[in-house]
Amino acid sequence: MGVAGPTDAGQSAPPTTEVLRVHGLVKRYGELTAVDGVSFTIQPGETFGLLGPNGAGKTTTISMIAGLIAADAGTVTVAGMGMGPSETAAKRHLGLVPQELAIYPDLTGRENLNFFGRLQGLNGKDLSRRTQEVLELIGLADRAGDLTKNYSGGMKRRLNIGIGLLHRPTLLILDEPTVGVDPQSRNSILEAVEALSSEGMAVLYTTHYMEEAERLCDRIAIIDEGSIQAEGTRDQLIKLTGGVDRINLHGSGNSTAAAAALRLVPGVQHVDGDGSALALTVHDGPSVLAGIVTGAANAGMSVTSVEITRPDLESVFLHLTGKALRD
Amino acid sequence: MTAVLALAAVELKRFLRDRSNIFFVFIFPLMLILLIGSQFGAGAGQSRVAISGSGTAVAEAVKTKLEAADVDVTFAGSDAVRQELSRGSTDVGLFISETAAAEFDARGSEAGRPAEIEVVMGSQSGAQAVMQQVRTAIQSVNVERGQLAALTQAGLTAGQAGDALAAASQRLSAPKVEVVDTSEIAQEFRGLGQFDLGAAQQLLLFVFLSSLTGATTLIQARRLGVVPRMLAAPVSSGQALGRFAIALVQGGYIMLGTALLFGVQWGSIPLSVMVLALFCTVSAAAAMVIGSVMDNDGAASGVGVGAGLVLAGLGGCMVPPELFPETLRAVSYITPHRYAYDAFAEIQRHEGTLGDILPQLGVLAAMAIALLLLGSLLLRRSLNRSL
Repeated sequence: MGVAGPTDAGQSAPPTTEVLRVHGLVKRYGELTAVDGVSFTIQPGETFGLLGPNGAGKTTTISMIAGLIAADAGTVTVAGMGMGPSETAAKRHLGLVPQELAIYPDLTGRENLNFFGRLQGLNGKDLSRRTQEVLELIGLADRAGDLTKNYSGGMKRRLNIGIGLLHRPTLLILDEPTVGVDPQSRNSILEAVEALSSEGMAVLYTTHYMEEAERLCDRIAIIDEGSIQAEGTRDQLIKLTGGVDRINLHGSGNSTAAAAALRLVPGVQHVDGDGSALALTVHDGPSVLAGIVTGAANAGMSVTSVEITRPDLESVFLHLTGKALRD
Repeated sequence: MTAVLALAAVELKRFLRDRSNIFFVFIFPLMLILLIGSQFGAGAGQSRVAISGSGTAVAEAVKTKLEAADVDVTFAGSDAVRQELSRGSTDVGLFISETAAAEFDARGSEAGRPAEIEVVMGSQSGAQAVMQQVRTAIQSVNVERGQLAALTQAGLTAGQAGDALAAASQRLSAPKVEVVDTSEIAQEFRGLGQFDLGAAQQLLLFVFLSSLTGATTLIQARRLGVVPRMLAAPVSSGQALGRFAIALVQGGYIMLGTALLFGVQWGSIPLSVMVLALFCTVSAAAAMVIGSVMDNDGAASGVGVGAGLVLAGLGGCMVPPELFPETLRAVSYITPHRYAYDAFAEIQRHEGTLGDILPQLGVLAAMAIALLLLGSLLLRRSLNRSL
């Protein structure tokens, strides 16, 4: 799939076998339009990221996708079935892991799984087997009989995710599952998502952590102020910035002469000089780095340190919205 | 259906896991029913007489007469009888001395002297009436002794005289006097057992009160984030089911417990269960409204207790509505308690049929539907707010 700019809500998409199809979603709260014409699709086995800062409309979007709230306009189709607050058939294909911990603290881990499993229509031996499988998958089999209020934060997070997996959903929605989690548990959660994806489960992953989106997602939609700004693979999105790297040189000697010389080096777009430091924007930094250091030395500047900054999703967000991702 | 039952079961499990609930929901109501029934229930005014001087003929004769008049008679030592009188645990005490016993038993030349019995009346309000029963019993014994004396003086042996009196009493049927209180209120409570009225009142009070205070579970569920997860599951309804299950278990427990422990007559069980189920639905729906409107569980609990007690008082669960002044009696019909109370009264006191309680059931069903619709609307709004 190619890179798309801001999505056209009115555009009709051809019928596909996608797990999720979101088309022209709109949600308004009074004067505020929280979600404004969001459209995207997710294919089987694909991990799709919704990347945006807090308040961008990610949770409202997935609330409509999960059938928690009704959309003011637009449609959601899960596994070919229309989704809405009263659409129980489509909900059977969906597993939701809310941003906040959604477990009962006064029930044990096993009781929580059993309860939410029953809500998903599991029962009898099937429920017992799936509960045990999930407990082992999330590493809580030996603590299954403990009340969850006695679990650590990471254990609660793992249980929170496990509940969403119980009924083997076609589509798993994870709403910022690593918020407030220690680095070790965070890594464990990311590994679990990678494992699920490799098993063929479609995942919709919302986050405002660029590194998570880059690590996990096959495709990413950048969302801000309720609308999708761009969508595509990581590399496709980065190309939106022009694919420019930044190189910072530090050293001593004649930096003015060095700046003039470096402007002539092939691949260098722009050079800014500031005393002992030079900032360059270049195409494909690693390949032109040797020529830059040599050029600076020939012009009388003794280089003591070099730093290359490659463009990332943060740069893309900055490029598209004019603000930082964590604003 | 499995999902809806799972919702009810998990709420019940969480409710029972909180030990404090066990006391206030299952033990306290029965204690209150026992207390109220003992103090104010029908038959609570059982006449009690304690006699010091057991084993004597006069004591046995007086006891026989008193028991024939439905008086509860106990024997004890003189100190124990005085203690019972001072504590109010008996209405009248009789002290029969050895001399009095001997004079009662006297024959021949010793006969004819009065046997003097010391009688002490307790200070409680009903003691005066019991005192009258004691006087009547002693008089009756006295008349019998006089008749025996007259017959023996006429030449019959003591045995023949006794037989003759027994035969005479069998031949004659003494006129029976039945006192009927014809006041409307007395007629209303006719046929009720000692604990019957209190059991119905406390059942309604506690089921509604527990449901309203349990509205906090809905607020907690929102705060815990489990409501969105439930809404994302293929469950079409069931938010009020948890409260309904708890209310039904509590109500069923009170009905069964009072029937077994205190012999409460609930009348037709299917009809009583029907009234209970509808009342539980109203209670659960009212809890849903409170739980949806409020976001602070402490405040919701306070409102639940306040509203629960006020509505119970207005609805006749503290003082029987039959004793209300006319205006308050009319006001009582804004509460679901009053309709459930009337339905139970019809079933318990008048062996009411389904047709007799249909109006009350209809109003309760209408209240339940209205509150459920309102609760669903408010719950949806509260969820949108929290999402």
